[in-house]
Amino acid sequence: METTTTIEKSIMVVGIDDSEVSFYALNWALDHFFVPFASNSPFKLVVVHAKPFPVKVIGIAGAGVAEVLPIVEADIKRIAAKVVEKAKEICHNKSVDDVIVEVVEGDARNVLCETVEKHHASILVVGSHGYGAIKRAVLGSVSDYCAHHAHCTVMIVKKPKPKH
Amino acid sequence: METTTFTSERSSEVGDAGEGNMQQQVQAVAEVEKKQMKVMVAIEECEESFNALKWALENLFFFLSSSSAGVAAETELTQNQEHGIVILLHVQQPFQNYIVPVGPIIHATPSMLMSVRKAQEQNSAVLMARALKLCKERQVRAEAMILDGEPKEMICEAAEQIQPTILVVGSRGLGKIKRAFLGSVSDYCAHHANCPILIVKPPK
Repeated sequence: METTTTIEKSIMVVGIDDSEVSFYALNWALDHFFVPFASNSPFKLVVVHAKPFPVKVIGIAGAGVAEVLPIVEADIKRIAAKVVEKAKEICHNKSVDDVIVEVVEGDARNVLCETVEKHHASILVVGSHGYGAIKRAVLGSVSDYCAHHAHCTVMIVKKPKPKH
Repeated sequence: METTTFTSERSSEVGDAGEGNMQQQVQAVAEVEKKQMKVMVAIEECEESFNALKWALENLFFFLSSSSAGVAAETELTQNQEHGIVILLHVQQPFQNYIVPVGPIIHATPSMLMSVRKAQEQNSAVLMARALKLCKERQVRAEAMILDGEPKEMICEAAEQIQPTILVVGSRGLGKIKRAFLGSVSDYCAHHANCPILIVKPPK
């Protein structure tokens, strides 16, 4: 049974994948919203990793999908475990131990928005690859989708580009 | 000894006498300086930007609500002030030099331009006053900036120059089609700003 906390904390959801920008975003969020307050942070942290469907990753293949499928699945699971491990380590290093780390299967955009709804989060933090317009159109942008469709405030953390 | 006289001068919490306390004080000051957050909030005439400002004040500067036992009220206030500063940015759109009604093009006379500009400035002043008042209620240091030009470009330019910790914009919550026609400042900023950006949605 969960013990009800006396202080109502607002919930912050941080979306991560295995890219460096998302860990930068996690670090940034921790640095600015959790570290300065010791254990008294006004936010409760939920870290969510979206695991892609194996079938989607393979795409439209011909015959031989059946053989590749278990390999891809194992690979995805491995990556997910690594991501979760790293996230927990980062949180622990900053002395933030009251964290929920979730792994949900599905498309990152939907997973993030659903997690926000599930936890009634007040803020969603995502990293941004900083793609240009064309790359964004082709590869799609999770941060873009979330900024439009999430039901809460969205924070997009960019990695500062080195000045040329 | 020097250390004991130093600690007796300070009025804040008294720990154990000795260098430990002084070091703690120095560290505390350094930490506060490090935590200095520069939050830039884009203010427009719409309700959403004030909503964004309120959200930012409530969630980013919350020393008022969190009561840390044993800390004097004075230090709490200074904590709030030292924690960061809010930069309120308002961009005035330059008035077009001509009015294009259905009929022939009418060039605006200089006096018309002047009066419109004055009205605009008055408008901005009222807007800023309201925003500054909100910040003052929360005991948060605020600075006001008024720029001329296209809102989205100026906001991103200002963000580049000032390098705030976070840029806060409101979002009108437009649908896809409206957004394509009316344009979206928050969209543009999300793509082009060089700093973390916070998009505040209207409460459902």
